[in-house]
Amino acid sequence: MNRLEQLKSSGKKAFVAYVMAGDGGLDRLKEQVQYLQSAGVTAIEIGIPFSDPVADGPTIEAAGNRALNQGVTLQKVLEELQSWTFDIKIPLLVMTYLNPVLRFGVERFTTECKKAGISGVIIPDLPYEHKQLVHPYLDKENIKLIQLVTLTTTDIRLDEILREAEGFVYAVTIKGITGSRDELSHDVKTFMQKIRKKSPVPVYAGFGISKSSHVDMLRDDVDGFIVGSAIVEAFNAGKIEEIEPLIRAVTTA
Amino acid sequence: MTKVKICGLKEEQHVQAASRADAIGFVFAPSKRQVTIEQAAELAKHVPIDAEKIGVFVNATLKEIEETVAGVPLTMVQLHGDESDELVRAIRVPVIQAFSIRTKEDVVKLKQSLADYVLVDAPGTDYRGGSGNVFDWSLLEGADIDPARLIVAGGLNPGNVHAAIEQTTPYMVDVSSGVETDNRKDTVKIQEFIKSVKGDFVEETMEKVGFFGKYGGQFVPETLMKAVKELEDAYNEVKEDPEFHKEYHHYLSEYVGREQPLTYAQRMTEAYGGPKIYLKREDLNHTGAHKVNNAIGQALLAMRMGKRKIVAETGAGQHGVATATICALFDLDCVIFMGEEDIKRQQLNVFRMKLLGARVESVTKGSATLKDAVNEALRYWVANVEDTHYLIGSALGPHPFPTMVRDFQSVIGEETKRQILAKEGRLPDAILACIGGGSNAIGMFYPFIQDKEVELIGVEAAGQGVDTAKHAATLTKGTDGVLHGALMKLLQDDAGQVQEAHSISAGLDYPGIGPEHAHLADTGRVEYRSITDDEALAAVISMSRLEGIIPALESAHAIAEAEKQAKQMTADQILVICVSGRGDKDMATYAEKLEGLA
Ligand SMILES: Cc1ncc(COP(=O)(O)O)c(C=O)c1O
Repeated sequence: MNRLEQLKSSGKKAFVAYVMAGDGGLDRLKEQVQYLQSAGVTAIEIGIPFSDPVADGPTIEAAGNRALNQGVTLQKVLEELQSWTFDIKIPLLVMTYLNPVLRFGVERFTTECKKAGISGVIIPDLPYEHKQLVHPYLDKENIKLIQLVTLTTTDIRLDEILREAEGFVYAVTIKGITGSRDELSHDVKTFMQKIRKKSPVPVYAGFGISKSSHVDMLRDDVDGFIVGSAIVEAFNAGKIEEIEPLIRAVTTA
Repeated sequence: MTKVKICGLKEEQHVQAASRADAIGFVFAPSKRQVTIEQAAELAKHVPIDAEKIGVFVNATLKEIEETVAGVPLTMVQLHGDESDELVRAIRVPVIQAFSIRTKEDVVKLKQSLADYVLVDAPGTDYRGGSGNVFDWSLLEGADIDPARLIVAGGLNPGNVHAAIEQTTPYMVDVSSGVETDNRKDTVKIQEFIKSVKGDFVEETMEKVGFFGKYGGQFVPETLMKAVKELEDAYNEVKEDPEFHKEYHHYLSEYVGREQPLTYAQRMTEAYGGPKIYLKREDLNHTGAHKVNNAIGQALLAMRMGKRKIVAETGAGQHGVATATICALFDLDCVIFMGEEDIKRQQLNVFRMKLLGARVESVTKGSATLKDAVNEALRYWVANVEDTHYLIGSALGPHPFPTMVRDFQSVIGEETKRQILAKEGRLPDAILACIGGGSNAIGMFYPFIQDKEVELIGVEAAGQGVDTAKHAATLTKGTDGVLHGALMKLLQDDAGQVQEAHSISAGLDYPGIGPEHAHLADTGRVEYRSITDDEALAAVISMSRLEGIIPALESAHAIAEAEKQAKQMTADQILVICVSGRGDKDMATYAEKLEGLA
């Protein structure tokens, strides 16, 4: 069974942590993943740095640039993951823009993800309309292609996307790019309720989630939360333990 | 436009001959055209990125089908046996269900199918999967089948496919035996068939939504999909609206000052000692370059869509100035993103934008040039998508931008064609235009694409030389990749990271090239060359002194290449250069680089 399905059947609220692979050096990724796993996160998204990350805000872009300056590539990240021998119990996902995947070769990407134990892939600039470019390959290896839905997704497209959704649905909580926000808008709650009613797979809220107050606001309307910029920032500042209350706020209520 | 499926392919050469088809069919059922999963997987590598790969099955199990879909991989499944509704429902890729039509009852059965598409075929004889007989098309008349899900097959060939399309207006036509000779696929017949449905490749380029060959698409974050789709719809609407065209041309003539002359450059002609040289004078446009043609078109469209806020990127500042100008004219809110590097190079334009009431945002990320300005403009659009239009400045970005920008710039080529016919009574032998993202070039070339006798030459920036690390020669040196919403050619490293471009000219300093140019390069219809910084500067001097026209640095690339091209041409020939802009904005650079000029 794909680990994402196991996570779903556990019924727990999910906490998906995003890390930028190679921010601070690729050799740090292992300890970061180990740390997050022991801190109780339920899945980890491994971000692949890209030169032109248009869906990301300044925090993740800066982390990506730091990683690129260290010479981090998609290939190196996958090799690093494949070299790990410690026990990973939670699903690992890869979040990458499309171009590095095309350059690497979609089929090869899929095979290498499989070898690395990846359960799902998120490609923010691959909309539903073009998913045939990648999906048949991932499907072959039972790796889920996670689709995003946003406040601007029209109802017709929402239905189409949800009909074929797999793994989980990544519901974007803001109109904008990634990055921490003080407050979430109030349409978000109704939006989450609408998606959850229609979705055959769990609905996780992401983009801008950085505080317990965000979690409290949406807790009853989603199956989990995805936290990116806040974690990237905390790792970069060497203060990752400050993120623990947020993890607890999600996973232990 | 009706799509084309070429079915039953077994050889690589035939798959390549079918590269313009919308779908390729592989037969996995027993037939003389049967292929194995492995064979199909090999063949599938030669199918364009956006074409459907369809597997044909007769009474296969779900498991067999799923294995084949994953193994090739296929993007669609076509069922030719007595498959159950359950099976149709269980298949995860789109399904085509085929029906043999003998009677009106068969038509009823077909209407009840749960499949995404229904294929009508003449009844099989020796084996399932089509026999090549023609069935009575009139059986479909009055059957009330949604043409959007209808695929017509059975006895089609290059000669009769037109009639079949007229009678049934299907979503797709499917051919197999009609493009064979002696039971084997025939390259010439495959191409003839596609041509008889689509016309020659130019028409296909126009019709195939969002793609030019394999390039183009809409590779944008989900937040933008709604805006991109709305724009596509809105643009489709105004494209056909004579009122819109009237308004657009009104501003072009009354505000921009079109039409612009096609100036005979007598002294350049004499100096180069070859063909007669004509200059298309985009430099005379209000604001100083071709960019304003596009800015007016898009601003009018934005207002039709109820959007009164505009965001744009700019490289040289010409597009930023054009956009700021039009926003002043129409009282629209205007934010312009510009790389910090370019702000330094184009200070005058920065001040012009501010004077016109625009907000200029400096972009310090990455190489701090055009590519990064586009990134920031896209991010801004993501965050403000509901009331803001992204007025992109070149033939780049997600569909419909490349098509729309081309159309708004085509006024350049249309006028040129009219003017040269009036002056010379014939078309030119060669036309040159410089290429950043490709908008002045595509606007100039597009009306001439079908005129095969006209040689079209795009000129990229070679910076310090294409063999150095500092150039912007995307077509000479680039590879396929996705940036800013489209599959195009990119300067990138082995890991798929986009590299910085380098050119003395801020407007050519972009590591990609519009998808339509990438396609025109592949087909060979346009030839792409490159000119270095130094060659461009030399051309600035020569044109200034020979014709009294100080060109923009961008345009100077086309002029420099024209001098080389002229050497290979004769006095009875005609050469046209698109002078995309004037040099005012570059005066500081000229003063610095050409210091000591005597
Ligand atoms: C005068 C001029 N010509 C050409 C270009 C290049 O753009 P494109 O290739 O879209 O025509 C620019 C871009 O800023 C420009 O200002």
